[in-house]
Amino acid sequence: MIGILQWTTLAVCGVVTLARIPSALRGENRSLFSIFALATLAILLSIDGPYLVVDRALGGLNIANLVLRFVIFAAIFFLGLRVARGFSADDALRLITGPIGIGVAAAASAAVVAVFLLMDTSGSSAGMTGIFAKDPRNAALVEYYGAAGRLYPAYVTAALFPAMLRTFRSRFPALVRSSAALMALGTVGICLSLLSPVIPPSLGILRYVFNYTAALCLILGLALIWLAKVLAQRAQKKQSVLTRW
Amino acid sequence: MPISAKAFQDWLHQAAPSASTADICRISGIKRTTLAQQLVRGKVTETTVVSISRALGLSPLAALASFEQFAELASPAPPPTPAELVSQVATMDLLRVVISRSSPVQGGDGEEGGSVLPALSPAPHATSVRNWVDAVDDGELRHRVSAATGVAPQNYSAQLTANRLSPELAFATARAAGVGLTGGLVATGLITEDEAGWPPGAKQSALEALSNGELTALAGERLQALGKSLRRQEQEQAQTEKIWEHLG
Repeated sequence: MIGILQWTTLAVCGVVTLARIPSALRGENRSLFSIFALATLAILLSIDGPYLVVDRALGGLNIANLVLRFVIFAAIFFLGLRVARGFSADDALRLITGPIGIGVAAAASAAVVAVFLLMDTSGSSAGMTGIFAKDPRNAALVEYYGAAGRLYPAYVTAALFPAMLRTFRSRFPALVRSSAALMALGTVGICLSLLSPVIPPSLGILRYVFNYTAALCLILGLALIWLAKVLAQRAQKKQSVLTRW
Repeated sequence: MPISAKAFQDWLHQAAPSASTADICRISGIKRTTLAQQLVRGKVTETTVVSISRALGLSPLAALASFEQFAELASPAPPPTPAELVSQVATMDLLRVVISRSSPVQGGDGEEGGSVLPALSPAPHATSVRNWVDAVDDGELRHRVSAATGVAPQNYSAQLTANRLSPELAFATARAAGVGLTGGLVATGLITEDEAGWPPGAKQSALEALSNGELTALAGERLQALGKSLRRQEQEQAQTEKIWEHLG
């Protein structure tokens, strides 16, 4: 079940990234391509098999997990910029690029690095589950580490949440509205994943469900807007008649 | 309450006893799948009944009246009010009338009703539904319709903005406004003015009866509403372009 969710998310991300290569080569919206590419890399690094390969190559100290955190931060930052500009959300743009946004990014980064250094990180394991199992001290640190890593994505998407709802309730084309709804759902997923530490172990599967549905919703949402644009441009070519009064 | 499949079948059997469903679809131009779907769902649209009765050479009004929910259409209706008639004149026609009254070159002589009016396009026009509701509204109409039908006022307004109104709502609106029951059906384009029994030339006479002041004020209101909706469209277009630019 978790495996299916993980690999589906990776497949969707990978396909969208590949599909954007031609337009990226033409120079259209390259930063969107980089968002998709970073997201693909992040999902790849969060799955057991690929993670172990990469991390062992990096020395088996779970440095790949630290890299993963910053890949997510970068992807979320660029996504936030694009969505805020696209949805004309000046308030969200200020929250992301203003002093508060930079402050949150810096604090989250510092916390992630600091907690990482405090942990005994030897022994590759995806999601740091091996470190969690070592002893209570390391287990607590892994929770803090995870919380710090989820803080920034939650901040950025929450800042965009009102704009997503606004777009969803507007009179834009149906595909744009569905995409806003998907992204809002992704935001809810990311914010729910903040609750990870208090989710009882018996419901541990929920952690994965929140994380991957959130990623899937954000990626699909972005891809839908792209699809909407392609369709709209095709329709525009067909009919260039003035609206009748 | 849409027309039930059973009531529709009964009506069709009376109206065209020997015709098969295939014949009906062929002469009325309705897709067979569309009709089949409506029958399966048990709800036949008023448009279907109107198209079929037209194809059979029957009066669409009489056909609708044979169904329980539209039975009141059978009794003779009061003629449309002048305000209703004028509401069904397209905005551009209204402007043409203004010009023709003001300029001798256009065949007008500045006299009220003294000019040769340009031919008016048939109802419905681009804002005919909202203009009709505004024409029969005494200020409380929307609340009465909402109370009578259970349709929330904001859903009602949304339909008006899209220049749409379901036949049931159009009917309920006319009843709540106390005007002839066909007005809404004409404004929504379900039946034509002729089919509704509106006298030919009634719109022209209603227009001619307007004083220059009334006509100009009305044209001004229409232009203002048109400008507002065009501006909104342009804004939405600009915002959509922005989304494409950043996220497409």
